[in-house]
Amino acid sequence: MVSTLKGAVVGFGRMGITHCAILNTHSLVSMAAVCDTSSFMVGNFQKHTGIPGFADALRMFDAVALDFVVVATPTPSHHQIAREAFDRGVHVFVEKPLTLTASDSERLSLDAARAKLVNQVGYVNRFNEVFVAVKEVLTSGTLGEVYHFRCDMCAPTVLREPKGGWRGKRNTGGGCLMDFASHGIDLIHFFFGAPDRIAGSAVRRIYSQETEDAVYSTFLYHHGLSGHLAVNWSDESYRKPAYRIEFSGSNGRIAADQHGYRLYLRRSPAGSQYQSGWNVRHATDLNRPVRFYLRGNEFTSQLDYFIDKIRAGDTSNINSFASAAATDKTIQAILNDAGAA
Amino acid sequence: MDRIIFGDNQFFGINHMSEAKAQAQLERFSDNRAIIEVLDLAYHSGLRGFMFSTHERVRDICGYFRANLASRPGLRLYPVLPYAQKYAAAVAERGILCVVKDAFITNNSPGRLAGSIVRGGVGMLTQDPFELMKVLVDAEMLMFRGLPLGVVFLQNVVADLLLGLRLGEAFVRFSEYVAARYGAEAGFMTMNLPAMAAYLQECGLKNPIVCASVNKIGYLMNPDRESYERTIAAGGFRPVAMSILASGAVPPEEAIEYACSLKNIESFVFGASSKKNIASTTSLLEQIRFQTEYELKAS
Repeated sequence: MVSTLKGAVVGFGRMGITHCAILNTHSLVSMAAVCDTSSFMVGNFQKHTGIPGFADALRMFDAVALDFVVVATPTPSHHQIAREAFDRGVHVFVEKPLTLTASDSERLSLDAARAKLVNQVGYVNRFNEVFVAVKEVLTSGTLGEVYHFRCDMCAPTVLREPKGGWRGKRNTGGGCLMDFASHGIDLIHFFFGAPDRIAGSAVRRIYSQETEDAVYSTFLYHHGLSGHLAVNWSDESYRKPAYRIEFSGSNGRIAADQHGYRLYLRRSPAGSQYQSGWNVRHATDLNRPVRFYLRGNEFTSQLDYFIDKIRAGDTSNINSFASAAATDKTIQAILNDAGAA
Repeated sequence: MDRIIFGDNQFFGINHMSEAKAQAQLERFSDNRAIIEVLDLAYHSGLRGFMFSTHERVRDICGYFRANLASRPGLRLYPVLPYAQKYAAAVAERGILCVVKDAFITNNSPGRLAGSIVRGGVGMLTQDPFELMKVLVDAEMLMFRGLPLGVVFLQNVVADLLLGLRLGEAFVRFSEYVAARYGAEAGFMTMNLPAMAAYLQECGLKNPIVCASVNKIGYLMNPDRESYERTIAAGGFRPVAMSILASGAVPPEEAIEYACSLKNIESFVFGASSKKNIASTTSLLEQIRFQTEYELKAS
């Protein structure tokens, strides 16, 4: 019989609970502990599932032998919990962003590399079927030389001044840039890599008093590519977070959102599945079912990938700490450029 | 349970296939009168079952139904709760417990609040998740007061979360409470029909109502279409099929033919925005359904 991997979730908020439910249905995983400062959450969870609950991550590590941990606490505590896990030989999945500063993230990514353990960050869009398909279009060269991109993100997340909690302040991981725009920045890295220069950045408050609700920035690359990022999480005209990405290339244009993509080609490359003119692919065409669905296929895909990597002893995973540290470096560059650091 | 239930996704910009389509629907239905017009069209073409999320705007629609109940005999509502997007940002920001407490306080009248405190107080509520669940259900159900109910559904994000965490007692308590307090049967929405149907039965729920996407292209059918077909054929629960048209990805005739070919399905949920589409989908469903039942009887 194949032995199961023992896992824990630290931070039993919206993301932590989601991860826990997805992992709890994995046939090769057994959830061995959960940890949160809310005694209501962990106490009741323990009572009704029998999975031990802890209020303190260090106590949990001391009490339970684990193969992996999922860290979904507010960002300031990520690096301490991750380091603790590495010291004990425990594989780590951390929610995004990795840490609050580019320097902390870089140090942590070096620790991760030294530990030779699987380390992954929850930039879940890299597992989204539409964005993966768009990346394939890009790497196949179908669009010719891509010279410009736009990435727009809008959400109805902060529609009044955040009071209490971690969301209202940047030093607790709040703010549109770290909490929301980081997804778009990572997506740009996924498609094009890290920019060589950041320019023309602006951050602005809409409802928040101590952090930003909108981010605008220009990404520049040595080889001539440029792109714009525009993110606003205080837009109530949206029902839920929405992404719109568009690339222009010498052979055409692609526009994508979570619902699918539209590709216009001047000429169809030899052997391509795409015709010249318009090509439309819907999410309904690209959808691949998962073994257990909660809030989107990509949430299951990213965790199943993490478990596969642990089982294979393969630390060359996507969304590694190093990759997320590069994203944090761009976040820092935008803050510096906007004069908001 | 009504054989055909009219859904509400189209009114609130929910379309899995196209953002442009979702946006166009949002614009068209930005005024509740436009929604009510379509609902009346559906009622007058013979539909009696109406499914609603607990979207803020549904409050007004329920008010309209209450005011015109006498002239709409047979009308039955199928609430789906909670409306998850309403709570998503607040939960991420301040934690589940704070949001629950707020929802409890803002959604209850002073009289009811006092009543709950007499029953054990807010302090006790925060110790017992099932007591909390009851006040949350009441808060969400408030907009449907005085309206005839069919089934009260637990929305899929919450239901699948409980399924994943194996918190089966919540399903049992929800069913008991909805029956006791609202005289209605509980239903469970899911994106994981085979797992949900098996687990609900394992929890001791007899012949539970399970609502899931059922369509020819296997869209939002996890882990795959074949296991849905096997699970539905095996019985032991009452399947309600939604997303049969997969947001328009499958042509109506083909879509309905497929959905009706699965023998045990009790009800079909579909949404439409025009008289023509309401009429054609309803008549297709009835025609194909009738044929299937006739063939079954004949065999």
